[in-house]
Amino acid sequence: MKRLTFTVVTVLTLIALTFSIALAQDPVTIRISTWAGVDEAAELQGLIDEINASQTGYQIVHEPIPSEYFTQVQTQLAGGTGADLYWMDQNQMAIASEGVFLPLSQCDAVTNAAPMTAGDLSDYYPGILAVNQNDGETYGLPWIAQPVVVYFNRALFDAAGLDYPQDGWTWDDFTETAMALTQDTDGDGETDQWGFINNGWPPPTIFIWQAGGELISPDFASVPIDSPEFVRGFEFYLSTAFNPELSPSREIISEQGFNEMFKAGVIAMFMGGAADDLDRVEGLDVGVIHVPANPETGSITTFAWNASTAINANTAHPQEACDALVAITEAIQGWKIVSPRISQASVEHLVASEPRKEANAEAIIAAAADMRALPIFGNYAEFDALFWSEFWGPLLNGETDLSVAELAAEVRADLEDTLP
Amino acid sequence: MDLGVLNTYLPTLIRYVLVALGLGAVMLLVYRVQLRFGIKQEAAAGRALVTPWVIGFLVFNLFTIGASLYLSFTDYNLFRAPEWVGTDNYADLFDISAVPLESASQRSSDALPRRHDEIIRVTVGDSGFVVGARESDFWRSMRLTVIYAVVTVPLGLAGALGVALLLNQKVRFIGLWRVLYYLPAVLPAVATALLWRWMFSSSGIVNAALSPFLNFFGLPAPQWMTNPGLSPVLFIIISLWGVFGANSVILLAALKGIPKELYEAVDIDGGADWAKFRHVTLPMLSPALFYNLVTSLIGALQAFEVAAFIPTPADAGTFLNWQIYQEAFNFRNMGMASAMAWILLMLIIALTALVFRSSSAWVFYQGAREGA
Amino acid sequence: MSTISQSRPLTTFDQPPSQRRFNIRRVIIYALLLFGAALVLIPFLWMISTSLKTQDQLFVRQINFIPNPAVPANYLEVWNRLSSINPGMTVWRILGNTLFITILAMIGEIFSASLVAYGFSRFRWKGRDTLFAIMLATIMIPGIVTRVPGFLIWRSLGLLDTYDPLTWHSLFAWGPIYIFLMRQFFNTIPREIEEAAIIDGANTFQIYLYIMLPLIKPILLAIAVLSFQGNWNNFQGPLLYLSTPEKFPLALAMRFFDQSLSKEAPQWQYMMAMATMMAAPVLAIYFLAQKQFLEGINVGGVKG
Repeated sequence: MKRLTFTVVTVLTLIALTFSIALAQDPVTIRISTWAGVDEAAELQGLIDEINASQTGYQIVHEPIPSEYFTQVQTQLAGGTGADLYWMDQNQMAIASEGVFLPLSQCDAVTNAAPMTAGDLSDYYPGILAVNQNDGETYGLPWIAQPVVVYFNRALFDAAGLDYPQDGWTWDDFTETAMALTQDTDGDGETDQWGFINNGWPPPTIFIWQAGGELISPDFASVPIDSPEFVRGFEFYLSTAFNPELSPSREIISEQGFNEMFKAGVIAMFMGGAADDLDRVEGLDVGVIHVPANPETGSITTFAWNASTAINANTAHPQEACDALVAITEAIQGWKIVSPRISQASVEHLVASEPRKEANAEAIIAAAADMRALPIFGNYAEFDALFWSEFWGPLLNGETDLSVAELAAEVRADLEDTLP
Repeated sequence: MDLGVLNTYLPTLIRYVLVALGLGAVMLLVYRVQLRFGIKQEAAAGRALVTPWVIGFLVFNLFTIGASLYLSFTDYNLFRAPEWVGTDNYADLFDISAVPLESASQRSSDALPRRHDEIIRVTVGDSGFVVGARESDFWRSMRLTVIYAVVTVPLGLAGALGVALLLNQKVRFIGLWRVLYYLPAVLPAVATALLWRWMFSSSGIVNAALSPFLNFFGLPAPQWMTNPGLSPVLFIIISLWGVFGANSVILLAALKGIPKELYEAVDIDGGADWAKFRHVTLPMLSPALFYNLVTSLIGALQAFEVAAFIPTPADAGTFLNWQIYQEAFNFRNMGMASAMAWILLMLIIALTALVFRSSSAWVFYQGAREGA
Repeated sequence: MSTISQSRPLTTFDQPPSQRRFNIRRVIIYALLLFGAALVLIPFLWMISTSLKTQDQLFVRQINFIPNPAVPANYLEVWNRLSSINPGMTVWRILGNTLFITILAMIGEIFSASLVAYGFSRFRWKGRDTLFAIMLATIMIPGIVTRVPGFLIWRSLGLLDTYDPLTWHSLFAWGPIYIFLMRQFFNTIPREIEEAAIIDGANTFQIYLYIMLPLIKPILLAIAVLSFQGNWNNFQGPLLYLSTPEKFPLALAMRFFDQSLSKEAPQWQYMMAMATMMAAPVLAIYFLAQKQFLEGINVGGVKG
């Protein structure tokens, strides 16, 4: 019995040793984890294959985790296991403040990058790059910054005899148009076509920023949500949500679906990400324009959803991971739209990345010039949850009798408690 | 087979063998040391044999429970060292306020702080006070979990008893029925949770089967997944399907173990079926019922898989166990999650203690009577 | 336990008041039994039926249990889809993971629980009953309480995202119910048996191996089935400790499919095919060993 166990253990140990030696001689493998679904993963694999074929220093392996991505990633980072590279969207990037990612100042591929390549930090929109920065360090390279634009259904404008939205249109133009397009087309006494749709999305920050307000002050010291500018922006945002004069009710949206309603042709204007497929719905003639401007400031600032790739601080091969990061970021920036790089802010680059956006490329590029990212900091998730549950949610859902300014004054201190 | 595959199995296998050998060595050591101190061989061997459990208990139960208690008083996000916050986590969970009313006509919502809901309101004459609690996902989940446990456990037990009584009649193919009724308990919870989600989806088989009835009364099809009021109903139905079998098999064996003479005694007294059930079956069955009651209660309070696979609307809450998992591993609030877990532990202990307390009144132990 | 075999099942039908009433009652009893059986079987059959349907047979107003046409290819297609999203998630890999976890945990569980139960039952030592009571009390501890610190323990051992927490942890007799059931069984074995062996010069381990284990075979079998079922179906443990998709057992692979491929438009035929596949081995073992199994789980319950 004893001899048998001994033999088994010895044999197993020997086998394990053999395999680890065999593995050690493999070329360096750099693993990248993403949330990519089936089609997206297949396209990304194409980019990775090209990178792997073009050099011998490392081989990138894609590990998609489309289910509960961030939970898994947090577990991996906390456990010191996991991939070398991770996709992180702006909110997830807040975890960088926990020191789980490699500072890019330790990357030769970034510090020695040629100008106007993916490794050149000065080529990124500063506001987008800021999401990835913490205490003067940069932890990720952005690969997308997708501004919110307005999609409009030309047929509905034509039927109502209205002009299409034009450059320089304002909140007042927007409201007026949306009201005019909210109609009972079949005359049964119930509205069946709306000028706009808002179910919480689009983000209120668009209007807050345009009005000159801030969600969090740039130095992360205060939450000036009771400023007149903020209140003005937020009130306008609220006026577009569940307002029977211009947008469908909560019940109708939950029955018919948010995007689906626009695709079904019953919504005239829709605020969506520039990469959305709303302008290539079959049977719909859709135009794209920048979000309406604040009438006082003239600002057309818009919200940009953005995402980056970061390097696991525990990676066994930091320099190869850096090389791979720069290579894959360069590749993705030529695939996803809109590229977060200033040198790529051109119609040509956008059309080369996504030919199906050709018709609206100009409008998208115009919008990208004025995009902003969320003010991300380490504790942003808690701030965001509190902002929603104490302020945004109650106001949007009509659960409070207080005005925007009154509630803002009440919750400001609680929100400021979450700041660093 | 490629290397990567073996590379994930083999190290675990090696550590498995090493741990097993190590445990064996520790057991031997425990045995030898006791003999050295002059302890009788029987006692030494007994203690050596339970050593694996003792180690497991110390490390994975006692230590973890202590650590969990400690963490519940901290703010901990897995990346930075835990920061002591005293009772803050508990205070956040038990955010209860009692506010005096200015007049009897004052609305509770005006008197209570923001986002607090009324629990109870007491008015005496022209004034009084109102007690409210902050609405939170935790309390919504607590409500769902407790309702679920309090309804499914007695219903499930009654159902299991019914099935056991049926099977205890002289039926043919008893083996077949027994196998059949136990079937739901064998199926993986993950598979059945998905199956029920499919069956109760808005155009699933349940609504299809109900539709003639609903059409007759002109009712809309129930939205099991999105209507907060229906969430507990859905979960209760699901749990009842599974619980009949496991408990009824145990109850059936207990039924078969009741000595015939006891029933004959009731016959001599001229007792009817009900009298036999009331005075013989129930008392004789009570230990088995008690066992089932305790295990089903503990199980019901820890429902997990159904919550993972069947979404609930936000207003309905979800099962506490799932909520705690999310708090810990999705939101990385380890401290808060530990506090919630401790409240769940206290709830389980309190409810179990309640059952144990009441047991002397209704659980009948044969041995105890004979001794008296 | 002995009472089960000693007494004949006794029912009120032993002395039927009249033949007619007898028959009506029997009809009611069988009707109820059939009704209950239908309640149990319909969902089960619906799962199998769905797993063989095409997408356009899923949502129809008419309830139809017989798929037409039946597509057994769903059972292969579900794996093609999984590996299309993560090439590592092949049917063999996922099945291998599940079996690896299940078998190692099962062996550890049975082996350690039987040793511990043996120590709690056949030996007299000071502190035994107190420890046993503590062990029973641990049944009440919800797993989630120990989960966060447990996660930290495995993290400090550097063993997250490995199978270790799911396998050799079982060597520490993690299942109090199993210990309890086996101890009940050990208690029914007459003492004379081992006394004779001791006189013959056998040591404790030999007695355990050559005398006790064969005697407790029925309960071992029952616990083996329970344990196989428990580990095969385990979802919480793997969810917590495994984060690389190709290391997932079936339960997590199902969730992966549900959350990624089936999120927008649920592909119930594939999910039910996977559910059926996951249930099949457990059912097979249950049907093969059902007699011992059902007897086994009674041991604890009746005397509880």
